[in-house]
Amino acid sequence: MVAPTVGVVAFLTVYPFVTVFSNSLFEYDYIAGTRTFVALDNYRSIVSDPQFVRSVVNTTLFVALSTSSQTIAGLVLALLYYERFRGRRIATTITAFPMMLSTMVVSAAWRTLFHFDIGPLNVILQRIGLGRVGWLINPDIALLSIVVVDLWQWTPFVFIMLQAALRTIPREYLEAARIDGNGTIGVVSRIVVPLLGPHLLTVALLRTIDTFRLFAKVYALTGGGPGNATETISYYIYREAYRYFNLGRAGAASVLAFGVIALVAAVYIPRLLKEHP
Amino acid sequence: MKRVVLAICGLAIVAVSLWARGVEESGTEESITLTIAGRDGAYGEAMEFATALYREQNPNVEFEILTLSGSALFEQTVVDLRSGAGSYDVILIDDPNAPQYMAAGWLADLDEMYAQRGVSLDSDFIGPAVGVGRFPAGDGTLYALPHVGNVALFAYRTDLFEEYGLAPPDRWEQVAAAAEVLAQNEPEVTPVLFRGSKGNPIVTGFLPILWAFGGDVLNAEGEVVLDSPESLAALEFFLRLSRFAPEGVANYQSAQVRDALYNGSGAIAIEVWPGWIANINNPDESAVVDQMQIRAHPGQVRGSSPMIGIWLAAIPESSRNKDAAFDFLTFLTSEETQRRIAREVGVPPTRVSVHQDPELQEMYFWYPAQLDGLQNGVARPRTDRWSEIESNLGEYLQLALIGEISAREAIAQADEQIRDIVD
Repeated sequence: MVAPTVGVVAFLTVYPFVTVFSNSLFEYDYIAGTRTFVALDNYRSIVSDPQFVRSVVNTTLFVALSTSSQTIAGLVLALLYYERFRGRRIATTITAFPMMLSTMVVSAAWRTLFHFDIGPLNVILQRIGLGRVGWLINPDIALLSIVVVDLWQWTPFVFIMLQAALRTIPREYLEAARIDGNGTIGVVSRIVVPLLGPHLLTVALLRTIDTFRLFAKVYALTGGGPGNATETISYYIYREAYRYFNLGRAGAASVLAFGVIALVAAVYIPRLLKEHP
Repeated sequence: MKRVVLAICGLAIVAVSLWARGVEESGTEESITLTIAGRDGAYGEAMEFATALYREQNPNVEFEILTLSGSALFEQTVVDLRSGAGSYDVILIDDPNAPQYMAAGWLADLDEMYAQRGVSLDSDFIGPAVGVGRFPAGDGTLYALPHVGNVALFAYRTDLFEEYGLAPPDRWEQVAAAAEVLAQNEPEVTPVLFRGSKGNPIVTGFLPILWAFGGDVLNAEGEVVLDSPESLAALEFFLRLSRFAPEGVANYQSAQVRDALYNGSGAIAIEVWPGWIANINNPDESAVVDQMQIRAHPGQVRGSSPMIGIWLAAIPESSRNKDAAFDFLTFLTSEETQRRIAREVGVPPTRVSVHQDPELQEMYFWYPAQLDGLQNGVARPRTDRWSEIESNLGEYLQLALIGEISAREAIAQADEQIRDIVD
């Protein structure tokens, strides 16, 4: 009974990976239709390509900043919404709204907000006497701007997950901690965070994997620029595969990206299994 | 019982199919659907317009038109044509990408199709526009017909130039001098406009300057010759001009350049395309009616070097409706259709006679300059690696534009990368 399921899973996951890995060993010009075996040359060429190195650095920075900021912001929101207040249900729905939007729609809206000349953010900054900011054109800021957009769109996901998890903590625990003289920070750090540990780990893993694949926002907001300030691994792979049709180099970059994600999962998953044997 | 029901259902399906087939064939001709992989924006409107005209004469032909961005069109057509799926009957191709399609043998031989019908390509088409539809370019086999006669032009505000006694610029040095004067006297006006976004936009703006300064990316033999004193001088000049451009120019696309031209906040555009300026003298859309001159680029060491960027229409070898597609292609590029598209949509033609139409010259005063640019312009290098070369060059140009690297570093590093691609 299990065999067909295993077969389907193998076909949908193992076969594409084997194909990509196989391509990575060839100089494969898709347009010309030529395949020449080059062993590990594509890997050597990619790791010495400054664009790829920059894309790895950018992706790592993005993952670290986005995952940590979203987890913290989501936890704060979940704690705020933990208290019962009038209109909480409507407020929760509104707060969750950004994650329901298409990434391209979100990007289009933020592209307008960030516009150097006519963007509302810079108009406001000018009105209060501050200079305009090159949100998407300053190489020192552009990646942070994309972090902000991702924070806006995906913090609600973390919030919803942690809000559900918070409900599993008996209110008596928190009240007892307060009676023991703990302030808000003490309650959060001594009671909430330890009890939410597995959930925080799950959320962090999901956000790490998702942010690692960052593509659509870069495509829509900066195209990897200015220069290569927002070039990410996914964008690099896309460009090699669909702009240049170099499937060998794209395959090699994909295998390396897979290796990194597998490494991250190898760190997270044993800890998750330990928490939930 | 189950088998009887199945048999009855099967017979019913066969009967209905035969009846429907009979109805279809009882009409004058069999219905055909042509699928076109086309562009968005004005080119998409032009295609909608042309197909509607065609259907007036050929009601049996239906159209499915995909309106895609330039990059999406390239990606989707390459994947489809490579697989031989035959999803498209007519495709649009930007001329620098044409060698890739032609070298791969994906396009139908139009010379052969003309010969089969006992007709030949008429001589009214502008020579270089047809030349980029051939492989090898110039005098090879014809694989695509020129649909949109794009050529990069140069634009400036005549009222401001007259006010400050500035001569129409024949050399790029005069452009820089004029920008300096305007920057000092017109604080509300941006002296220089161009597209600074990485990749194709910034390269397209830079190439006419590169060529005018005597530089080039590849020579006639396809060898990389970018790293030269001429190219360096061109890039240094480009960066000098960029000091008079908006602070956010590194993010500028065609929409920003077009808006600044139309609302009068820009004085000089070092690159405009016919599609951007179709309504520049329309008072409903433009604040600079009769105040904008559109002409060929200035020269410098060499004469003016306008860049042609023809949109070609071709029939994939895998199309299942090649005859119908050929009939539509000849209609699309005919004199009358081009005239009507130019009049109604503003998309530039690829025929001499349409450029010389007095009514159109009245509507679009730059048609003589456009025709001259198309007849004497320079096409981007004919290589099947152009998209990769352009992407890399565009990246280093933008890094220089935003001050991350010097002009010398940008030229040297781009040259090295392009050598890797070509080799």
